[in-house]
Amino acid sequence: MPPRLAALTAYCRTAPAAALPSIALLSPFMQGRFSSILATLSDNAGAYNKRIRRGRGPSSGKGKTSGRGHKGQKQHGSVPARFQGGQTPQDIVHGVRGFENLFSAEMSPVNLNRIQSWIDQGRLDPTRPITVKELVESRCIHGVKKDGVKLLARGKEELKTPINILVSRASAAAIETIEAAGGNVTTRYYTQQSIKRLLKGESESSFTPLALAPNTAEVSPTSNTTASSASPFLYRLPDPTSRKDIEYYRDPAHRGYLSHMVGEGQGPSLFFKTPRVGGRRKSKKPGTAAAAKENRLW
Amino acid sequence: MATETSLPSNETQDYSHSILRNTTTPVAEFTPPTVPTTIYKFPTMEPLRFESYSSKYLYLPLRRDILHRAVIFEGDATRQGTASTKTRYEVHGSHRKVRPQKGMGKARLGTRQSPVIRGGGKSFGPHPRDFSTELPRKVYDLAWRTALSWRYRKGGLIICEDGMDIDYLKARYAKRIFDHNHWGNAYGRSLVVTNSYRKNLFGAMQDLGSEGRVQVVDDVDVKDLLEQGRIIIEKSALDEILRQHQSDLVAKVRTGV
Repeated sequence: MPPRLAALTAYCRTAPAAALPSIALLSPFMQGRFSSILATLSDNAGAYNKRIRRGRGPSSGKGKTSGRGHKGQKQHGSVPARFQGGQTPQDIVHGVRGFENLFSAEMSPVNLNRIQSWIDQGRLDPTRPITVKELVESRCIHGVKKDGVKLLARGKEELKTPINILVSRASAAAIETIEAAGGNVTTRYYTQQSIKRLLKGESESSFTPLALAPNTAEVSPTSNTTASSASPFLYRLPDPTSRKDIEYYRDPAHRGYLSHMVGEGQGPSLFFKTPRVGGRRKSKKPGTAAAAKENRLW
Repeated sequence: MATETSLPSNETQDYSHSILRNTTTPVAEFTPPTVPTTIYKFPTMEPLRFESYSSKYLYLPLRRDILHRAVIFEGDATRQGTASTKTRYEVHGSHRKVRPQKGMGKARLGTRQSPVIRGGGKSFGPHPRDFSTELPRKVYDLAWRTALSWRYRKGGLIICEDGMDIDYLKARYAKRIFDHNHWGNAYGRSLVVTNSYRKNLFGAMQDLGSEGRVQVVDDVDVKDLLEQGRIIIEKSALDEILRQHQSDLVAKVRTGV
Protein backbone atom coordinates (compact mmCIF):
# COMPACT_ATOMS: atom_id res chain seq x y z
CA MET A 1 0.00 0.00 0.00
CA PRO A 2 2.39 2.80 1.06
CA PRO A 3 4.62 2.71 -2.03
CA ARG A 4 1.59 2.98 -4.30
CA LEU A 5 0.21 6.00 -2.46
CA ALA A 6 3.59 7.71 -2.43
CA ALA A 7 3.80 7.20 -6.17
CA LEU A 8 0.36 8.76 -6.52
CA THR A 9 1.32 11.87 -4.60
CA ALA A 10 4.49 12.21 -6.62
CA TYR A 11 2.27 12.04 -9.70
CA CYS A 12 0.02 14.77 -8.29
CA ARG A 13 3.03 16.99 -7.64
CA THR A 14 4.19 17.07 -11.23
CA ALA A 15 5.03 20.50 -12.52
CA PRO A 16 2.13 22.29 -14.25
CA ALA A 17 3.96 22.40 -17.55
CA ALA A 18 4.06 18.63 -17.65
CA ALA A 19 0.47 18.32 -16.48
CA LEU A 20 -1.07 19.74 -19.62
CA PRO A 21 -3.74 17.64 -21.36
CA SER A 22 -1.15 16.40 -23.82
CA ILE A 23 -0.17 13.99 -21.06
CA ALA A 24 -2.96 11.77 -22.33
CA LEU A 25 -0.64 10.90 -25.22
CA LEU A 26 2.01 9.73 -22.80
CA SER A 27 -0.37 7.58 -20.82
CA PRO A 28 0.88 4.25 -22.27
CA PHE A 29 4.20 4.92 -20.53
CA MET A 30 2.57 5.86 -17.25
CA GLN A 31 0.63 2.70 -16.69
CA GLY A 32 0.07 1.72 -13.15
CA ARG A 33 -2.70 0.91 -10.77
CA PHE A 34 -5.26 3.67 -10.65
CA SER A 35 -6.42 4.50 -7.17
CA SER A 36 -9.24 6.89 -6.63
CA ILE A 37 -8.63 10.15 -4.82
CA LEU A 38 -11.79 9.49 -2.82
CA ALA A 39 -9.89 7.24 -0.43
CA THR A 40 -7.49 10.01 0.55
CA LEU A 41 -10.02 12.77 1.15
CA SER A 42 -10.50 13.97 4.68
CA ASP A 43 -11.42 17.16 6.42
CA ASN A 44 -8.87 19.23 8.32
CA ALA A 45 -7.87 17.87 11.70
CA GLY A 46 -9.49 20.70 13.63
CA ALA A 47 -12.78 20.58 11.76
CA TYR A 48 -14.37 18.00 14.02
CA ASN A 49 -14.56 17.63 17.79
CA LYS A 50 -14.36 14.23 19.30
CA ARG A 51 -17.62 13.11 20.83
CA ILE A 52 -17.60 13.18 24.65
CA ARG A 53 -18.18 9.69 26.00
CA ARG A 54 -19.92 10.03 29.35
CA GLY A 55 -19.72 7.51 32.15
CA ARG A 56 -16.64 5.71 30.82
CA GLY A 57 -14.36 5.81 33.86
CA PRO A 58 -12.63 8.43 36.00
CA SER A 59 -9.81 9.21 33.58
CA SER A 60 -12.26 10.46 30.97
CA GLY A 61 -13.22 13.44 33.13
CA LYS A 62 -16.91 12.66 32.57
CA GLY A 63 -16.91 9.40 34.48
CA LYS A 64 -18.60 9.00 37.81
CA THR A 65 -21.56 11.38 37.65
CA SER A 66 -21.27 12.00 33.92
CA GLY A 67 -21.25 15.77 34.54
CA ARG A 68 -24.72 15.76 36.13
CA GLY A 69 -23.72 16.39 39.76
CA HIS A 70 -25.12 14.58 42.77
CA LYS A 71 -28.66 13.46 43.52
CA GLY A 72 -32.02 14.88 42.66
CA GLN A 73 -34.29 15.49 39.74
CA LYS A 74 -31.58 17.14 37.64
CA GLN A 75 -29.47 14.03 37.89
CA HIS A 76 -32.26 11.63 37.04
CA GLY A 77 -34.38 13.44 34.53
CA SER A 78 -35.40 16.85 33.39
CA VAL A 79 -36.81 19.76 35.37
CA PRO A 80 -39.44 21.91 33.64
CA ALA A 81 -37.91 25.04 32.18
CA ARG A 82 -40.21 27.39 34.17
CA PHE A 83 -39.80 25.53 37.48
CA GLN A 84 -38.15 27.58 40.22
CA GLY A 85 -37.98 25.08 43.06
CA GLY A 86 -41.61 25.51 44.07
CA GLN A 87 -41.69 29.33 44.00
CA THR A 88 -44.49 30.78 41.88
CA PRO A 89 -43.20 30.71 38.31
CA GLN A 90 -42.34 34.01 36.66
CA ASP A 91 -44.96 33.69 33.96
CA ILE A 92 -47.65 33.29 36.64
CA VAL A 93 -46.37 36.25 38.69
CA HIS A 94 -46.14 38.63 35.75
CA GLY A 95 -48.63 37.09 33.38
CA VAL A 96 -49.12 37.99 29.77
CA ARG A 97 -49.47 41.64 28.92
CA GLY A 98 -50.85 43.25 25.84
CA PHE A 99 -52.76 41.66 23.00
CA GLU A 100 -52.41 40.89 19.35
CA ASN A 101 -54.36 43.20 17.13
CA LEU A 102 -56.01 40.96 14.57
CA PHE A 103 -57.12 43.94 12.49
CA SER A 104 -53.75 45.65 12.10
CA ALA A 105 -52.31 45.66 8.61
CA GLU A 106 -48.97 43.90 8.44
CA MET A 107 -47.01 45.48 5.63
CA SER A 108 -43.47 45.52 4.31
CA PRO A 109 -42.18 49.08 4.39
CA VAL A 110 -40.14 50.54 1.56
CA ASN A 111 -38.63 53.99 1.83
CA LEU A 112 -37.93 56.61 -0.81
CA ASN A 113 -34.18 56.86 -0.21
CA ARG A 114 -33.85 53.12 -0.70
CA ILE A 115 -35.73 53.28 -3.97
CA GLN A 116 -33.51 56.15 -5.16
CA SER A 117 -30.41 54.19 -4.13
CA TRP A 118 -31.62 51.14 -6.07
CA ILE A 119 -32.26 53.31 -9.12
CA ASP A 120 -28.75 54.80 -8.83
CA GLN A 121 -27.26 51.30 -8.67
CA GLY A 122 -29.17 50.30 -11.77
CA ARG A 123 -31.19 47.70 -9.90
CA LEU A 124 -34.54 49.37 -10.61
CA ASP A 125 -35.57 50.82 -13.95
CA PRO A 126 -37.30 54.21 -13.42
CA THR A 127 -38.51 54.37 -17.02
CA ARG A 128 -40.85 51.45 -16.41
CA PRO A 129 -43.50 51.10 -13.69
CA ILE A 130 -42.06 49.94 -10.38
CA THR A 131 -44.39 47.36 -8.87
CA VAL A 132 -44.21 44.88 -6.02
CA LYS A 133 -42.67 42.34 -8.37
CA GLU A 134 -39.80 44.63 -9.33
CA LEU A 135 -39.21 45.60 -5.71
CA VAL A 136 -38.99 42.00 -4.57
CA GLU A 137 -36.91 40.73 -7.47
CA SER A 138 -34.34 43.48 -7.00
CA ARG A 139 -34.31 42.68 -3.26
CA CYS A 140 -35.36 46.25 -2.47
CA ILE A 141 -37.69 44.48 -0.06
CA HIS A 142 -37.01 41.00 1.22
CA GLY A 143 -40.28 39.19 0.81
CA VAL A 144 -43.73 40.68 1.24
CA LYS A 145 -45.67 40.53 4.48
CA LYS A 146 -49.25 39.39 4.34
CA ASP A 147 -50.95 42.70 3.57
CA GLY A 148 -48.56 44.01 0.96
CA VAL A 149 -46.09 46.86 0.61
CA LYS A 150 -46.38 50.34 2.03
CA LEU A 151 -44.40 53.23 0.58
CA LEU A 152 -42.92 55.51 3.26
CA ALA A 153 -41.10 58.81 2.98
CA ARG A 154 -37.84 58.31 4.87
CA GLY A 155 -35.05 60.20 3.12
CA LYS A 156 -37.56 61.94 0.89
CA GLU A 157 -35.11 64.74 0.10
CA GLU A 158 -32.92 62.18 -1.71
CA LEU A 159 -35.57 61.28 -4.29
CA LYS A 160 -34.79 63.05 -7.57
CA THR A 161 -35.94 60.60 -10.25
CA PRO A 162 -39.57 60.70 -11.41
CA ILE A 163 -40.98 57.21 -10.85
CA ASN A 164 -44.25 55.47 -11.61
CA ILE A 165 -44.88 53.20 -8.66
CA LEU A 166 -47.64 50.74 -7.79
CA VAL A 167 -47.85 49.57 -4.17
CA SER A 168 -50.46 48.55 -1.60
CA ARG A 169 -50.40 51.78 0.38
CA ALA A 170 -48.44 55.02 0.43
CA SER A 171 -47.93 57.66 3.09
CA ALA A 172 -49.10 61.22 2.38
CA ALA A 173 -45.54 62.55 2.52
CA ALA A 174 -44.34 59.90 0.07
CA ILE A 175 -47.10 60.72 -2.39
CA GLU A 176 -46.34 64.42 -2.13
CA THR A 177 -42.60 63.90 -2.70
CA ILE A 178 -42.97 61.60 -5.67
CA GLU A 179 -45.46 63.88 -7.37
CA ALA A 180 -43.25 66.90 -6.70
CA ALA A 181 -40.45 65.02 -8.51
CA GLY A 182 -42.81 64.51 -11.46
CA GLY A 183 -43.71 60.89 -10.73
CA ASN A 184 -46.86 58.89 -10.15
CA VAL A 185 -48.16 56.85 -7.24
CA THR A 186 -50.98 54.33 -7.46
CA THR A 187 -52.14 52.11 -4.63
CA ARG A 188 -53.74 48.79 -5.37
CA TYR A 189 -55.38 46.09 -3.31
CA TYR A 190 -53.35 42.89 -2.89
CA THR A 191 -54.07 39.68 -1.06
CA GLN A 192 -51.46 37.23 0.16
CA GLN A 193 -52.43 34.85 -2.61
CA SER A 194 -52.30 37.49 -5.31
CA ILE A 195 -48.83 38.60 -4.23
CA LYS A 196 -47.67 35.01 -4.40
CA ARG A 197 -49.06 34.66 -7.93
CA LEU A 198 -47.60 38.00 -8.93
CA LEU A 199 -44.13 36.94 -7.85
CA LYS A 200 -44.44 33.59 -9.60
CA GLY A 201 -45.33 35.39 -12.81
CA GLU A 202 -48.85 33.95 -12.89
CA SER A 203 -50.47 37.37 -12.63
CA GLU A 204 -49.75 40.68 -14.25
CA SER A 205 -48.80 43.76 -12.23
CA SER A 206 -51.78 45.71 -13.44
CA PHE A 207 -52.89 49.23 -12.58
CA THR A 208 -56.45 48.59 -13.76
CA PRO A 209 -59.06 47.17 -11.38
CA LEU A 210 -60.46 43.73 -12.06
CA ALA A 211 -63.85 45.29 -12.86
CA LEU A 212 -62.36 47.28 -15.75
CA ALA A 213 -59.91 44.64 -16.99
CA PRO A 214 -60.88 42.90 -20.24
CA ASN A 215 -62.43 39.53 -19.46
CA THR A 216 -60.75 36.88 -21.59
CA ALA A 217 -63.45 34.31 -20.78
CA GLU A 218 -66.13 36.34 -22.59
CA VAL A 219 -64.20 36.50 -25.87
CA SER A 220 -65.14 34.04 -28.60
CA PRO A 221 -63.49 30.61 -28.24
CA THR A 222 -61.10 30.92 -31.21
CA SER A 223 -59.70 34.26 -30.20
CA ASN A 224 -59.73 33.10 -26.57
CA THR A 225 -57.31 30.28 -27.31
CA THR A 226 -54.97 32.61 -29.16
CA ALA A 227 -55.20 35.17 -26.36
CA SER A 228 -54.46 32.59 -23.67
CA SER A 229 -51.51 31.22 -25.61
CA ALA A 230 -50.19 34.76 -26.08
CA SER A 231 -50.65 35.83 -22.46
CA PRO A 232 -48.59 33.94 -19.88
CA PHE A 233 -50.83 35.06 -17.03
CA LEU A 234 -53.19 32.52 -15.54
CA TYR A 235 -54.84 34.69 -12.91
CA ARG A 236 -56.10 38.24 -12.62
CA LEU A 237 -55.61 40.32 -9.51
CA PRO A 238 -58.69 40.60 -7.26
CA ASP A 239 -60.49 43.73 -6.14
CA PRO A 240 -61.27 44.40 -2.47
CA THR A 241 -64.56 43.19 -1.04
CA SER A 242 -64.46 44.53 2.51
CA ARG A 243 -65.80 48.02 3.16
CA LYS A 244 -62.60 49.18 4.84
CA ASP A 245 -60.43 48.22 1.87
CA ILE A 246 -62.83 49.56 -0.73
CA GLU A 247 -62.95 52.90 1.06
CA TYR A 248 -59.13 53.09 1.20
CA TYR A 249 -58.69 52.50 -2.52
CA ARG A 250 -61.65 54.74 -3.46
CA ASP A 251 -59.90 57.65 -1.79
CA PRO A 252 -58.10 59.98 -4.25
CA ALA A 253 -55.92 61.19 -1.36
CA HIS A 254 -54.42 57.68 -1.20
CA ARG A 255 -54.09 57.63 -5.02
CA GLY A 256 -56.27 54.56 -4.87
CA TYR A 257 -56.81 52.62 -8.07
CA LEU A 258 -60.57 52.72 -7.46
CA SER A 259 -60.70 56.50 -7.04
CA HIS A 260 -62.32 56.86 -10.48
CA MET A 261 -65.48 55.45 -8.89
CA VAL A 262 -65.90 58.48 -6.67
CA GLY A 263 -68.03 61.11 -8.34
CA GLU A 264 -67.50 64.83 -8.34
CA GLY A 265 -67.94 66.28 -4.86
CA GLN A 266 -68.40 62.88 -3.22
CA GLY A 267 -66.37 61.25 -0.45
CA PRO A 268 -64.79 57.81 -0.54
CA SER A 269 -66.92 56.54 2.32
CA LEU A 270 -69.57 53.97 1.54
CA PHE A 271 -71.44 54.72 4.78
CA PHE A 272 -71.67 58.46 4.96
CA LYS A 273 -73.55 59.52 1.86
CA THR A 274 -72.63 62.95 0.54
CA PRO A 275 -75.69 65.21 0.51
CA ARG A 276 -76.87 65.76 -3.05
CA VAL A 277 -76.00 69.17 -4.42
CA GLY A 278 -77.52 68.70 -7.87
CA GLY A 279 -81.14 69.38 -8.88
CA ARG A 280 -82.43 65.81 -8.75
CA ARG A 281 -85.17 66.74 -6.37
CA LYS A 282 -86.08 69.82 -8.40
CA SER A 283 -86.21 67.86 -11.64
CA LYS A 284 -88.40 65.22 -10.09
CA LYS A 285 -90.86 67.65 -8.55
CA PRO A 286 -91.95 69.39 -11.73
CA GLY A 287 -92.49 65.99 -13.36
CA THR A 288 -94.76 64.77 -10.64
CA ALA A 289 -96.55 68.07 -10.55
CA ALA A 290 -97.19 67.83 -14.31
CA ALA A 291 -98.46 64.27 -13.98
CA ALA A 292 -100.70 65.35 -11.17
CA LYS A 293 -102.03 68.15 -13.36
CA GLU A 294 -102.84 65.72 -16.18
CA ASN A 295 -104.54 63.26 -13.85
CA ARG A 296 -106.69 65.92 -12.28
CA LEU A 297 -110.32 65.15 -12.85
CA TRP A 298 -111.80 68.22 -11.40
CA MET B 1 7.64 11.97 33.75
CA ALA B 2 5.44 14.99 33.94
CA THR B 3 8.41 17.28 34.41
CA GLU B 4 9.73 16.48 30.99
CA THR B 5 8.88 19.06 28.39
CA SER B 6 7.98 18.16 24.86
CA LEU B 7 10.59 18.92 22.29
CA PRO B 8 9.86 21.63 19.74
CA SER B 9 10.59 19.11 17.00
CA ASN B 10 6.94 18.01 17.09
CA GLU B 11 5.96 20.51 14.46
CA THR B 12 8.39 19.21 11.91
CA GLN B 13 7.17 15.69 12.59
CA ASP B 14 3.63 16.82 11.91
CA TYR B 15 4.62 18.09 8.52
CA SER B 16 6.67 15.10 7.55
CA HIS B 17 4.12 12.41 8.28
CA SER B 18 1.28 13.98 6.35
CA ILE B 19 2.72 13.93 2.88
CA LEU B 20 -0.63 12.86 1.56
CA ARG B 21 -2.43 15.94 2.78
CA ASN B 22 0.04 18.44 1.44
CA THR B 23 0.20 17.47 -2.18
CA THR B 24 0.03 21.14 -3.06
CA THR B 25 3.23 22.47 -1.66
CA PRO B 26 3.05 25.49 0.66
CA VAL B 27 5.62 27.17 -1.55
CA ALA B 28 3.85 29.91 -3.49
CA GLU B 29 3.86 28.65 -7.02
CA PHE B 30 3.28 30.86 -10.02
CA THR B 31 -0.31 30.70 -11.23
CA PRO B 32 -0.94 32.08 -14.70
CA PRO B 33 -4.16 34.07 -15.11
CA THR B 34 -5.47 31.61 -17.67
CA VAL B 35 -4.65 28.04 -18.58
CA PRO B 36 -4.88 26.51 -22.04
CA THR B 37 -7.02 23.54 -22.96
CA THR B 38 -7.28 21.57 -26.16
CA ILE B 39 -10.67 20.95 -27.73
CA TYR B 40 -10.94 17.56 -29.40
CA LYS B 41 -13.39 16.15 -31.88
CA PHE B 42 -15.05 13.33 -30.03
CA PRO B 43 -14.76 9.89 -31.51
CA THR B 44 -11.65 10.59 -33.57
CA MET B 45 -9.97 12.68 -30.83
CA GLU B 46 -8.53 14.98 -33.45
CA PRO B 47 -7.34 18.20 -31.77
CA LEU B 48 -9.31 21.12 -33.17
CA ARG B 49 -8.25 24.27 -31.33
CA PHE B 50 -7.08 25.72 -28.04
CA GLU B 51 -9.32 27.45 -25.53
CA SER B 52 -8.17 29.18 -22.39
CA TYR B 53 -9.92 29.10 -19.07
CA SER B 54 -9.35 31.27 -16.02
CA SER B 55 -7.08 29.76 -13.39
CA LYS B 56 -9.85 30.32 -10.90
CA TYR B 57 -11.90 27.77 -12.81
CA LEU B 58 -9.47 25.10 -13.92
CA TYR B 59 -6.21 25.70 -12.05
CA LEU B 60 -7.16 25.84 -8.38
CA PRO B 61 -4.96 24.17 -5.77
CA LEU B 62 -6.09 20.79 -4.53
CA ARG B 63 -8.06 21.12 -1.30
CA ARG B 64 -8.79 17.66 -0.01
CA ASP B 65 -10.80 19.01 2.90
CA ILE B 66 -13.19 20.89 0.66
CA LEU B 67 -13.59 17.95 -1.70
CA HIS B 68 -14.27 15.78 1.33
CA ARG B 69 -16.95 18.11 2.63
CA ALA B 70 -18.62 18.25 -0.78
CA VAL B 71 -18.59 14.45 -1.17
CA ILE B 72 -20.03 13.98 2.33
CA PHE B 73 -22.65 16.65 1.67
CA GLU B 74 -23.74 14.89 -1.48
CA GLY B 75 -23.74 11.50 0.19
CA ASP B 76 -25.93 12.77 3.01
CA ALA B 77 -28.34 14.37 0.58
CA THR B 78 -28.56 11.13 -1.42
CA ARG B 79 -29.63 9.03 1.55
CA GLN B 80 -33.26 8.02 1.21
CA GLY B 81 -34.03 7.96 4.91
CA THR B 82 -37.15 5.84 4.44
CA ALA B 83 -36.33 3.06 6.92
CA SER B 84 -39.35 2.57 9.13
CA THR B 85 -40.39 0.23 11.93
CA LYS B 86 -43.46 -0.03 14.11
CA THR B 87 -43.38 0.79 17.79
CA ARG B 88 -45.47 -1.13 20.30
CA TYR B 89 -48.23 1.42 19.82
CA GLU B 90 -48.37 0.91 16.06
CA VAL B 91 -48.31 -2.90 15.91
CA HIS B 92 -51.77 -4.24 15.11
CA GLY B 93 -53.66 -6.38 17.58
CA SER B 94 -55.58 -6.59 20.82
CA HIS B 95 -54.17 -5.21 24.05
CA ARG B 96 -55.61 -8.11 26.02
CA LYS B 97 -53.41 -9.38 28.85
CA VAL B 98 -51.50 -12.35 27.46
CA ARG B 99 -51.92 -14.49 30.62
CA PRO B 100 -52.85 -14.01 34.27
CA GLN B 101 -50.49 -11.95 36.38
CA LYS B 102 -49.89 -14.75 38.89
CA GLY B 103 -50.19 -18.49 39.27
CA MET B 104 -48.79 -19.72 35.97
CA GLY B 105 -45.19 -20.04 37.12
CA LYS B 106 -44.14 -17.92 34.17
CA ALA B 107 -43.01 -14.35 33.56
CA ARG B 108 -45.42 -11.44 33.89
CA LEU B 109 -46.70 -10.34 30.51
CA GLY B 110 -48.95 -7.46 29.48
CA THR B 111 -49.75 -7.07 25.81
CA ARG B 112 -48.58 -8.97 22.74
CA GLN B 113 -47.08 -5.76 21.33
CA SER B 114 -44.38 -5.57 24.03
CA PRO B 115 -40.90 -5.18 22.51
CA VAL B 116 -39.57 -8.16 24.45
CA ILE B 117 -41.98 -10.56 22.77
CA ARG B 118 -41.49 -11.99 19.30
CA GLY B 119 -43.83 -10.14 16.94
CA GLY B 120 -43.88 -7.16 19.23
CA GLY B 121 -42.95 -3.58 18.41
CA LYS B 122 -39.42 -2.26 17.98
CA SER B 123 -38.30 -0.08 20.87
CA PHE B 124 -35.93 2.34 19.24
CA GLY B 125 -36.26 1.38 15.59
CA PRO B 126 -35.62 3.55 12.56
CA HIS B 127 -38.23 6.00 11.36
CA PRO B 128 -38.26 8.05 8.17
CA ARG B 129 -36.02 11.09 8.46
CA ASP B 130 -34.00 13.51 6.44
CA PHE B 131 -30.26 12.86 6.57
CA SER B 132 -29.27 15.83 4.47
CA THR B 133 -26.68 18.22 5.88
CA GLU B 134 -25.83 21.75 4.90
CA LEU B 135 -22.82 23.16 3.10
CA PRO B 136 -22.34 26.84 2.22
CA ARG B 137 -22.98 27.34 -1.47
CA LYS B 138 -19.63 29.05 -2.00
CA VAL B 139 -17.77 26.12 -0.47
CA TYR B 140 -19.68 23.66 -2.62
CA ASP B 141 -19.01 25.66 -5.76
CA LEU B 142 -15.32 25.85 -4.87
CA ALA B 143 -15.33 22.06 -4.50
CA TRP B 144 -16.70 21.64 -8.03
CA ARG B 145 -13.99 23.78 -9.52
CA THR B 146 -11.35 22.19 -7.31
CA ALA B 147 -12.35 18.76 -8.59
CA LEU B 148 -12.15 19.93 -12.21
CA SER B 149 -8.83 21.66 -11.50
CA TRP B 150 -7.41 18.50 -10.02
CA ARG B 151 -8.46 16.65 -13.15
CA TYR B 152 -6.90 19.34 -15.30
CA ARG B 153 -3.61 19.26 -13.41
CA LYS B 154 -3.45 15.50 -13.74
CA GLY B 155 -4.23 15.69 -17.44
CA GLY B 156 -7.48 13.87 -16.85
CA LEU B 157 -9.81 16.54 -18.21
CA ILE B 158 -10.43 15.90 -21.89
CA ILE B 159 -12.65 18.53 -23.44
CA CYS B 160 -14.50 17.69 -26.62
CA GLU B 161 -16.35 19.67 -29.24
CA ASP B 162 -20.13 20.01 -28.78
CA GLY B 163 -22.28 17.27 -30.26
CA MET B 164 -20.49 14.26 -28.78
CA ASP B 165 -21.98 11.06 -30.12
CA ILE B 166 -20.87 7.89 -31.87
CA ASP B 167 -22.02 6.51 -35.20
CA TYR B 168 -23.40 3.15 -34.07
CA LEU B 169 -25.39 2.08 -31.06
CA LYS B 170 -22.90 -0.72 -30.38
CA ALA B 171 -21.06 -1.54 -27.16
CA ARG B 172 -18.36 -3.20 -29.29
CA TYR B 173 -17.80 0.04 -31.17
CA ALA B 174 -17.59 2.12 -28.00
CA LYS B 175 -15.21 -0.42 -26.48
CA ARG B 176 -12.85 -0.04 -29.44
CA ILE B 177 -12.87 3.73 -28.96
CA PHE B 178 -12.11 3.33 -25.26
CA ASP B 179 -9.36 0.80 -25.89
CA HIS B 180 -7.71 2.87 -28.56
CA ASN B 181 -7.62 5.98 -26.38
CA HIS B 182 -6.56 4.10 -23.25
CA TRP B 183 -9.68 5.10 -21.41
CA GLY B 184 -10.87 1.67 -20.38
CA ASN B 185 -10.69 -0.55 -17.36
CA ALA B 186 -6.92 -0.96 -17.43
CA TYR B 187 -6.56 2.80 -17.29
CA GLY B 188 -8.90 3.47 -14.42
CA ARG B 189 -12.15 3.78 -16.42
CA SER B 190 -13.58 7.07 -17.66
CA LEU B 191 -16.58 9.30 -17.13
CA VAL B 192 -18.13 10.75 -20.27
CA VAL B 193 -20.26 13.85 -19.68
CA THR B 194 -22.57 15.24 -22.33
CA ASN B 195 -24.89 18.20 -22.30
CA SER B 196 -27.96 16.17 -23.25
CA TYR B 197 -29.02 12.58 -23.91
CA ARG B 198 -27.30 11.03 -26.92
CA LYS B 199 -29.00 7.87 -28.10
CA ASN B 200 -26.05 6.01 -29.62
CA LEU B 201 -23.51 6.94 -26.97
CA PHE B 202 -25.75 6.22 -24.01
CA GLY B 203 -27.07 3.02 -25.55
CA ALA B 204 -23.59 1.74 -26.33
CA MET B 205 -22.27 2.56 -22.87
CA GLN B 206 -25.15 0.80 -21.16
CA ASP B 207 -23.31 -2.52 -21.21
CA LEU B 208 -19.83 -1.04 -20.80
CA GLY B 209 -19.95 -0.35 -17.07
CA SER B 210 -16.58 -2.00 -16.60
CA GLU B 211 -14.93 0.46 -18.99
CA GLY B 212 -16.62 3.68 -18.00
CA ARG B 213 -19.81 5.59 -17.57
CA VAL B 214 -21.72 8.25 -19.45
CA GLN B 215 -23.82 10.89 -17.73
CA VAL B 216 -25.81 13.95 -18.66
CA VAL B 217 -24.35 17.06 -17.07
CA ASP B 218 -27.39 17.57 -14.84
CA ASP B 219 -26.78 14.19 -13.19
CA VAL B 220 -23.11 14.75 -12.42
CA ASP B 221 -21.94 15.29 -8.84
CA VAL B 222 -18.55 16.20 -7.40
CA LYS B 223 -18.09 12.58 -6.43
CA ASP B 224 -18.64 11.48 -10.03
CA LEU B 225 -15.85 13.81 -11.15
CA LEU B 226 -13.43 12.23 -8.67
CA GLU B 227 -14.28 8.55 -9.00
CA GLN B 228 -12.72 7.39 -12.22
CA GLY B 229 -9.49 7.72 -14.18
CA ARG B 230 -10.46 10.74 -16.32
CA ILE B 231 -13.34 12.84 -17.54
CA ILE B 232 -14.23 13.24 -21.19
CA ILE B 233 -16.55 16.21 -21.22
CA GLU B 234 -18.40 18.17 -23.85
CA LYS B 235 -17.34 21.81 -23.88
CA SER B 236 -20.85 23.15 -23.37
CA ALA B 237 -21.30 20.76 -20.44
CA LEU B 238 -18.08 22.01 -18.84
CA ASP B 239 -19.13 25.61 -19.36
CA GLU B 240 -22.51 24.84 -17.82
CA ILE B 241 -20.85 23.33 -14.73
CA LEU B 242 -18.55 26.33 -14.39
CA ARG B 243 -21.42 28.76 -14.90
CA GLN B 244 -23.51 27.13 -12.22
CA HIS B 245 -20.67 26.89 -9.72
CA GLN B 246 -19.07 30.30 -9.56
CA SER B 247 -20.97 31.91 -6.68
CA ASP B 248 -17.74 32.72 -4.82
CA LEU B 249 -16.35 34.55 -7.86
CA VAL B 250 -19.35 36.40 -9.23
CA ALA B 251 -21.19 38.83 -6.97
CA LYS B 252 -24.87 38.28 -7.52
CA VAL B 253 -26.78 41.55 -7.52
CA ARG B 254 -30.50 41.04 -7.86
CA THR B 255 -32.13 43.50 -10.19
CA GLY B 256 -35.74 44.08 -11.11
CA VAL B 257 -34.80 45.65 -14.42
